[in-house]
Amino acid sequence: MTETHTDNEHIGIPGYLGVFGILVVGTIVTYLVALTDLDSKLFPGANTLVALAIAFTKMTFVVLFFMHVRWQTRLVWISAVAGFFWMAIMFAYTMQDYLTRGTGYFTP
Amino acid sequence: MQNVDVMNISEEPKVNYLTNGFSLKSWLLTKDHKRIAIMYLITVSAFFLIGGLYAATIRLELLTPQSDLLESGQYNRVFTQHGIIMVFFFLIPVIPAILGNFFLPLMIGAKDLALPRINLLSLYIYWVGGILTLWALMQGGVDTGWTFYTPYSTTFSNTYVMAVGLGVFINGFSSILTGLNFIVTVHTMRAPGMTWFRLPLFVWANYATALVMILGTPVVAITILLLAIERVGHVGIFDPAIGGDPILYQHLFWFYSHPAVYIMILPAMGVISELISNFSRKKIFGYEFIAFSSLAIAVFGFLVWGHHMFVSGQSLYAGLVFSFLTMVVAVPSAIKMFNWTATLYKGSVSYDAPMLYALGFMGLFLIGGLTGLFLGSMGLNVHLTDTYFIVAHFHYVMVGGTVLGYLGGIHYWWPKMTGRMYSEFWAKISAMLVFVGFNLTFFPQFVLGYLGMPRRYASYAEELQVLNIFSSAGAAVLGTGMFMPVVYLILSLVFGQKAEANPWHLPGLEWRTASPPPTENFEKMPVVTWEAYEFGEDNGLDHEAVRGKELVEA
Amino acid sequence: MSHEHDYHPPGLQHQFEDMGQQQDSVTVGMWAFLVQEIMFFGGLFTAYLVFRSRYPMAFAAGSNHLDAFLGGLNTLVLIVSSLTMALTVYYAQKGKRNAQVILIILTMIFGTTFLVVKYFEYSDKYHHGLVPFNGLNQKIKKGHEGGEAEKSEKSQIVLPFETKAEASETKTEAGSETKPAEVHANPRGEFQWHDENGVKIVHEAKKGGYLTPYEQSGYYTNGEYDNDKFTQKVRIFFYIYFVMTGLHGLHMVVGLGIMTWLLVMAWRGTYSAEYYSPVEISGLYWHFVDIVWIFLFPLLYLLGRHFLAGGGH
Repeated sequence: MTETHTDNEHIGIPGYLGVFGILVVGTIVTYLVALTDLDSKLFPGANTLVALAIAFTKMTFVVLFFMHVRWQTRLVWISAVAGFFWMAIMFAYTMQDYLTRGTGYFTP
Repeated sequence: MQNVDVMNISEEPKVNYLTNGFSLKSWLLTKDHKRIAIMYLITVSAFFLIGGLYAATIRLELLTPQSDLLESGQYNRVFTQHGIIMVFFFLIPVIPAILGNFFLPLMIGAKDLALPRINLLSLYIYWVGGILTLWALMQGGVDTGWTFYTPYSTTFSNTYVMAVGLGVFINGFSSILTGLNFIVTVHTMRAPGMTWFRLPLFVWANYATALVMILGTPVVAITILLLAIERVGHVGIFDPAIGGDPILYQHLFWFYSHPAVYIMILPAMGVISELISNFSRKKIFGYEFIAFSSLAIAVFGFLVWGHHMFVSGQSLYAGLVFSFLTMVVAVPSAIKMFNWTATLYKGSVSYDAPMLYALGFMGLFLIGGLTGLFLGSMGLNVHLTDTYFIVAHFHYVMVGGTVLGYLGGIHYWWPKMTGRMYSEFWAKISAMLVFVGFNLTFFPQFVLGYLGMPRRYASYAEELQVLNIFSSAGAAVLGTGMFMPVVYLILSLVFGQKAEANPWHLPGLEWRTASPPPTENFEKMPVVTWEAYEFGEDNGLDHEAVRGKELVEA
Repeated sequence: MSHEHDYHPPGLQHQFEDMGQQQDSVTVGMWAFLVQEIMFFGGLFTAYLVFRSRYPMAFAAGSNHLDAFLGGLNTLVLIVSSLTMALTVYYAQKGKRNAQVILIILTMIFGTTFLVVKYFEYSDKYHHGLVPFNGLNQKIKKGHEGGEAEKSEKSQIVLPFETKAEASETKTEAGSETKPAEVHANPRGEFQWHDENGVKIVHEAKKGGYLTPYEQSGYYTNGEYDNDKFTQKVRIFFYIYFVMTGLHGLHMVVGLGIMTWLLVMAWRGTYSAEYYSPVEISGLYWHFVDIVWIFLFPLLYLLGRHFLAGGGH
């Protein structure tokens, strides 16, 4: 039916170890960043933003290399993205309510 | 003319899917999508009957303004259970799990769904969820309304919220697995030559439905789980008195339950696309538009849930956005309506029973959809919320849409499923009764709602009695019309004429195998060389020739 | 791709034409399932988002009572198990049985380690009255004495980070360094909240004007700090913490079940370059569970840590 990837090597053992290293470093950096006060140095919420950025980076590496999405069909790419897109819909449209409370007739 | 040999399946295969094993085990452990569909058919019909009995009780109670047949507490349980059974155990599984399960592989030329064991598992999950819910109903049921709104359901209700909630939770996974199976099947199991744009529109509709099932259902599962934990633990995340937020529950609940409306209506739209095109003997108008409008509905359906919450206390801004998006989601539905109408134009329309249902659908869904626009406008909604106007609106969509679509589909495919023809005469009578009874039941409710009769009360103002009597009388007609198919369809199994492989003379792939189909669906892998809904000489399906043949026979 | 109908490779199911189709199907199916899982956790993340945006200080205060060291340790444990899982797939594709078996066992060991650490964290919450469900905490008749000796010992074992952080933070208040003072009477096992640091955070935030409107009415009664009200909000944090990590843990348990099955199959040498999709999709599941934790760790454990680390206001 559709083409299957014949190259089963992907990134090989050194590649996997490299990704692993990045993940470990990411975890440690997350921890250290949490101990420094970026909220007052940069802007409120900076700590969380940095933590999430690192988490997204880590996730991207896991998804692309450990889960082999890098070599997968477009369909798999789409479904990987779709999950997060729909979660974003849920966040955005729920928060558009919560963040605009008190601006209209229905004050909390 | 290479199709002709696919077409002419004159000799009946020795073993079809029904005769391939008769033991109970051969049914309960089957991996055959057709047998699973039949088991779904029986169970879902049973739930429809139970839900229908609750509906009959409601209409009996509402014959008089006083709450005399049921007292208020009982009435609360009755309408709640009517809602829960009809929504979660009938409307959501009915078309995907029965017709979709049976015909999706046949229509794309596959031997089975891609994951047959998962398919069987989904049936068992449905059974477990259903039995649990029925058990809870027998213990005394639940009185929260089918929406389980907090904090009533978490803090105050003394009924079996946990058990019913668990039943719905479990049942959700049945729907997720069905959706998952459909997505995989459409992607990987299409026969050679069956390109995406040769797929019948029923397949497109089920594919879109499957997307909604996968993306939406888990959210309601987690919501009900939170509700259950909250009911036991009383931490108060849904209780405003101690810092929680009941609106959060509504957001999460409607994030699924609004798209769930599209889980119910999209497959019905798929059936109608089949019926309209095939019984007009004309290639459907605007195939791509209908296909993509299904996907558009599936996507936009996720952006409008807040229109259930206009008076709940969500912010005015959110209300405006949701109100606007509700108007947007009407567009793809309208596209479908226009295309169906355009298909009928200059078609060679035959008024067989399935087509009567399809035409009924078009009329009723039109009313249901347009009143949906009324309700989607925030200003008018504040006036009409929680009145019978809402009740009438969603019954026009759910019953007038989904149930008519389902009835049309089951008639249309009955010869293929069972190998027998039903009684056309009784089928037509039934379709008429359903249409008339339906309008008699629910049209007065628009008026009642506009006059201000609130939903979910056992008693009402005396001056509203006349319209309520109309409604209850209509319900009797509707009930009769819906029960008749049970009788004549079952009788057709014994007394019905044997159906040919292609009784309607249609080009679809499911008609190019025997009736009933063999377990493997097709004797050899079909190769698709024609477009969808292609009526013409190439298929040996030239309409004039067929009609000529019929004339000669007559 | 060969179309020889007589040849029927092992592991090919009846509905498929060839192995390629089967492998595509299970992969697509698993990804669709993972999308479903994302939405499943998505509902919880929405609840988290709503309440954290509403009561950020209560969340920070609650988060400081989680053990970030153990949380970080668990993150590393899961990452290692993800690595071994990825290598399992790698060796399954090569059909190397022994490497597969060893790596699956390693994956299971790390998965179990995660759950054991999680158990210690949960039991710590149990001893400190931080389980948000009343009655599910340890029932302590009287505080400060009476059979509390071994309890304080235990909490020292499971709380290496917290004790350290508190020690460095509360140099001015020497009193709180003695451990038994932490034990409070809790005869009915209710959720309890006694934390001077948490209160300080709130006061500072109020001074700085950082409190959300919900917090101003949610922590204060008539302008006075109200510990009962604040406790309710912290309790919501712990509720979300327990539901999220609990569901994640449940997924880990299911994952270990899958691994056990995989181990048996790999032991029998089922998987080869031609047929390894069960290993691959089990791997997808395992990595997904890992990813959930990658998000849970910063979002639950690391809120407002800098207040305690001494850098703060």
